[in-house]
Amino acid sequence: MLDDVDLTCEAGEIHALVGENGAGKSTLAAIAAGELATDAGEIERSGRIGLVHQHFALIERLRVWENVVLGHEPQRGGTIDRDAARAFVREIGERYGLEVDPDALVESLPVGIRQRVELLRELARDPSILILDEPTAALSPGEVLRLFGTIALLTQRGVGVLVITHKLDEVFAHAGRVTVLRRGRIVEERPIAATTRERVARAMIGGEIPSIPAHEPTHGAIAVRVTDLAVTGAIENLSLQIAAGEILGIAGVEGNGQTALADALAGLTAFRGSVERPSSIGVIPQDRLLEAVIPSWSLLENAMLGRERAASAKPSWRIDRAAARTQCTAIVERFDVRATSIDAPLSTLSGGNQQKLVVGRALIDNPAFVIAYNPTRGIDIGATATVHTELLAARNRGAAILLVSFELDELFALSDRILVIARGALRGEFADRRFDREAIGRLMVSA
Amino acid sequence: MTLSLVLSLLALAFVRGTPILLASLGGVLSERSGIVNIALEGEMTAGAFAAALISYFTRDPWIGAIGGVAVGAGVGFALGFAATRWRVDQIVAGMGINLICTGGAAFGLIFVFNQAGVTPQVPAINQALWPMVIGAIVLAAVLQWAIARTPIGLRLRACGENPHAARAAGIDPLAVRLYASTIAGALAGLGGVFLALGELNLYSDGMIAGRGFIALAAVIFGRWTPLGAAGVALIFGLLEALQFALQGTIAWLPSDFLQALPYIAALLALLGASGRYRPPAAEGKPYP
Repeated sequence: MLDDVDLTCEAGEIHALVGENGAGKSTLAAIAAGELATDAGEIERSGRIGLVHQHFALIERLRVWENVVLGHEPQRGGTIDRDAARAFVREIGERYGLEVDPDALVESLPVGIRQRVELLRELARDPSILILDEPTAALSPGEVLRLFGTIALLTQRGVGVLVITHKLDEVFAHAGRVTVLRRGRIVEERPIAATTRERVARAMIGGEIPSIPAHEPTHGAIAVRVTDLAVTGAIENLSLQIAAGEILGIAGVEGNGQTALADALAGLTAFRGSVERPSSIGVIPQDRLLEAVIPSWSLLENAMLGRERAASAKPSWRIDRAAARTQCTAIVERFDVRATSIDAPLSTLSGGNQQKLVVGRALIDNPAFVIAYNPTRGIDIGATATVHTELLAARNRGAAILLVSFELDELFALSDRILVIARGALRGEFADRRFDREAIGRLMVSA
Repeated sequence: MTLSLVLSLLALAFVRGTPILLASLGGVLSERSGIVNIALEGEMTAGAFAAALISYFTRDPWIGAIGGVAVGAGVGFALGFAATRWRVDQIVAGMGINLICTGGAAFGLIFVFNQAGVTPQVPAINQALWPMVIGAIVLAAVLQWAIARTPIGLRLRACGENPHAARAAGIDPLAVRLYASTIAGALAGLGGVFLALGELNLYSDGMIAGRGFIALAAVIFGRWTPLGAAGVALIFGLLEALQFALQGTIAWLPSDFLQALPYIAALLALLGASGRYRPPAAEGKPYP
């Protein structure tokens, strides 16, 4: 997995570790934090190394303070001193801008706040180095800024912070030094001031940055017509249309009705109102592990999941294994899924490669309607380019595409038209690719 | 119905409910640590049989009682060991333990006493019946407090909810689960001791009669809390007492039906509870 890697993180610096999926970043982090063993080499630590995982390892049904003090509980006469624990949580929270209600149940908290709890838990153990694995993958732009504010406070106090990320914007905005990992080896390590974004991107993928095909206008008939859609507790009286050959972007802060909209159009939730859409539909779900794949199954089985009959030329009661293998191989080749074998468990693949399989599965049958929900969340530049290229190719073939994304850059790159959603209603429309970042940002937080 | 009849009915409810209560406390402990415990039935059987056996040979019922608890703990340890170190499916291991314990007791009767079905009368601790009833209820309150308020309680809950996070916090989930399963076995064994030496003075085949499973229902219906499980266990005790009281009073109703009453109640309760109550998130899942 890793080969001859030398990496240092110094006190008080923000060090970015970048690289494509499967380059070995998370493995390196786990080794540094002592969660995994090495075959050779050594780790020198001056003090504790704290690790905040990409998928939070919190105990959902415990309170915030219980998660934070677990394993080193303040005690009074054999019982947990709860007041001391709460005060402790508040104190670290105030010091680092991580305010959370200590008595809140973790399961009741949104993603951004959960990350604060995760940070609090690590900071409670007074680390000298803190490793953050993809910390901004699930955060809104405001939360990202806030997180880097906290990181700055940490470095002022002499904590070294190693940030693992794909997002070069963040690297160049906040980090002091950058290390690029490719296929288990370090290919570049420089101060930020002595390198450029292009140079880092090239080092990550080991070649030129793939370009996205040009955005040619298309004129298709209305393919999807949604009238007065309502989902209890999420959206009300929402109407929209998507033409064939159009990518309709939905901009909004997480939790403003996007999930209900996508689920209603995919037929996954009960709704009122009318939805007219083509019957051939491809869905790229929001949460890969929860909704899209069965990680312990093979690539082949996952590729056939939900489309067991699609591979067979003629209707049959059994799965045509030979045709399924051909199809899965086609997905793997066309969507550049890097795996040892299509019979390997999907869990052995990196997140980006898993996602390429999910996207490939949704697009391989050329559906007339595609729902793509954060299709590139948490995946790297190379994989993102593949996904974007394929979504545009589907559009150019005449598919109507609903693109929900929390990243404005992605919406701007792909959409023909953008609708802004806030509090379960549409707040504005931007057509003909004339997108105003500031106006969209304002509408996203409108009441 | 006179007052004295009501009082004697309530007294009987407490006595009949206590063995279920003790086993359900064990069930709460092991399930909160992440181990599904369908072996309560076998642990109660082992405890009851061992208590009678040891009491018979030592002629000291207290040594018998301690022996019964120890054997229950040993069975709990076996379940915990299989579930943690060998990663055996917990339901399968529990079923295996139930079969071994009921079969082993039946075999032991013939092997030791050369008679099927029942032991001879053994020295008992009937005088300790009520102190045990009260002690069991106090224990439920103590466990409720300990799970909510002590570091060990928090760690126990953490292991049942997310053992990976517990591990990251420096806790050994395998050790916690093994301890919890062992203590659970001791408590279920004590439930068996209560039946064999507290209420009666012998062990007979079928004596546990599904009380381990009723205790499991009490765990679920009591939402995995000691006081909740204790309350439900005592309600089952009341149903058993009612069943006794009603026998012979309704001529057309077969007594078999009355005897089935607590079990039917448990089934209905579980039907109502299914899906509404959430078990510990990592319950039944092997770690790592």
